[in-house]
Amino acid sequence: MNMKLKKTNIILSCFVLLVLLVPLNDISAMEIKDQLNRKIHLPKQIKTIVSLAPSITEIIYALGVEDLLVGVTQYSDYPAAASSLPKVGSYVHLDLERIIALKPNLCIATRDGNPLTTIERLEIMKIPVYAVDPRNLETIIQTILELGRLLKAEKKADFLAANMRSRILKIKNIISCTQHRTRLFFQIGISPIVSAGSPTFINELIELAGGENLAKGPAAYPRFSKEKVISLAPEVIIITSMARSTVFEKVKAEWNRWPDLPAVKQQRIYLEDSNLFDRPTPRLVDGLELLAKLLHPELFENIK
Amino acid sequence: MKKSKLNLPKRILVVSLILLIILAGISFLGLACGSTGIDFLALIKIIFKSEINESMLPAIIWQIRLPRVLLAALVGATLSLGGLVFQAILRNPLAEPYILGISGGAAIGAIIGILLGLSRFPGVSLLAFAGSMATLLLILVMASDKTILKKDSLLLSGVMVNAFCSAVIMFLISMTQDSRLHNIIFWLMGDLSVADLDQTFSLAMVLIPCFIIIFYYSNVMNLLLMGQEQARAMGVNIKLVIFILLVITSLMVSSTVSYCGLLGFVGLVMPHLLRIILGPDHRVLVPACILGGGAFMVFCDLLARTLPEQGEMPAGVITALIGAPLFIYLLKRSSR
Repeated sequence: MNMKLKKTNIILSCFVLLVLLVPLNDISAMEIKDQLNRKIHLPKQIKTIVSLAPSITEIIYALGVEDLLVGVTQYSDYPAAASSLPKVGSYVHLDLERIIALKPNLCIATRDGNPLTTIERLEIMKIPVYAVDPRNLETIIQTILELGRLLKAEKKADFLAANMRSRILKIKNIISCTQHRTRLFFQIGISPIVSAGSPTFINELIELAGGENLAKGPAAYPRFSKEKVISLAPEVIIITSMARSTVFEKVKAEWNRWPDLPAVKQQRIYLEDSNLFDRPTPRLVDGLELLAKLLHPELFENIK
Repeated sequence: MKKSKLNLPKRILVVSLILLIILAGISFLGLACGSTGIDFLALIKIIFKSEINESMLPAIIWQIRLPRVLLAALVGATLSLGGLVFQAILRNPLAEPYILGISGGAAIGAIIGILLGLSRFPGVSLLAFAGSMATLLLILVMASDKTILKKDSLLLSGVMVNAFCSAVIMFLISMTQDSRLHNIIFWLMGDLSVADLDQTFSLAMVLIPCFIIIFYYSNVMNLLLMGQEQARAMGVNIKLVIFILLVITSLMVSSTVSYCGLLGFVGLVMPHLLRIILGPDHRVLVPACILGGGAFMVFCDLLARTLPEQGEMPAGVITALIGAPLFIYLLKRSSR
């Protein structure tokens, strides 16, 4: 009796296994390459996505396919609705268990930050991971178009891309009216003082917006001494950091102790939202427009 | 004397069995709890029945929690054993790989390896081994002077070696903008989340032979505690045994450090607790430390990944929170 039961049990479980395996083979029908040139097996129909970085969450919302999102990382705070989605750890320290429990049939990762080992383990567990690697504004637009194709939101993606391109062009046209390049110190860290070098989005935005990035150089996030900053004589200081306004007032007061600093003389020290400058999303163009206005207010006087 | 010797195999067996049951129990807890919730019933079902349902739970348990529990057990066993060996050789109840700075030396080697872009095995592990051997040598040179065998001066030199190591680590971190060091703060406080089954197995391949060798020398460690003269009189080649034990221990410690960073005080908590319960015989203590240390670490890791609401904390935070007060207590008691 017992033996029989065991036998049927084994047969049953074999059957269940087979049933489970067949659709698994079927699902991974399409093979594509992601931005890192890695082959990935894409499910036929993407039903559920876990986004592994705040910027990716933003793009998914911008594409209007947020219904697919079942999980996001910590600090996915834009748009506000994203904050209420289940969290899977921070983007540099992902919580594998939570990701897998959400049963996504696709994860979207970014090369900048997501640890490779986690990505590899997700793939071992048969969760395809599409990795993006936006390096500058143009590749951000490409990324948006690619994700649009991937998630069947081509139209929205085309619209977003066209919108971004035309706004960038407009800024380029306005800035081309002047030869002056405003000397800008872009402060993203307060203690120690940290700025953004050439291999960053911030550098590209500064140059497009008609500024001279005083932290230009091979290091992505170089550290500065106060002495060094003062000797560079910035005309404008922009402080982002994740600082609250009280912290900002304190930092501003410290810079104000050097009245000969051009930025102090002209009262051009500003606090801005860091998310507009360091997240590879459509909002980066908002950051560009803002920056252009801060660096060349005279050119924008007539334009409303 | 003779009677207790007769009972020895039995005693080892009983102690091991009890600790094995404790380890199994805590491991079971470790498999049942995670950041997605606690479910004992489902775990029992998954372990004992071949039932496959729609849920992802089996995958989570076998591929995420199990490697982690195994890694924690291995690391805990290694560090406890490391503490036990150092305490016997240096005849100092407060010796421990982390406190002596040997873990720190291994960490320096590992970080240099990571910065050079070497693979975890053998590159990073070998450099970690070299680092731990270098600090060990430093401590031994200091210890060769008789006065150092006094508790306080040995500990002081350990503190200094440790301070130096953390300065070098901070120096290396400050000099680089390397994105591979993103998780370094976590790693410095002991991070077990990297575990996958293959790596855990390859680590086990290194560690388990070391456990066996140390068990082989457990009786010699008893003799060492009586004093080197005594041991020599019993016909033990002291220098050779000490050399082998130290090399094996620093190999074990450095390979765990290169996998999961600095976990402090584990080598203090378990050996002391077990010595109080089981007495000073190393033939019993060695297997007990392996199993008990494993259980302790699995428990600490369990707390580390379930206590925080969001994400997790480094397991070294928990081991230090438990271990450091104990260390202070032991220091106070031994100075009386």
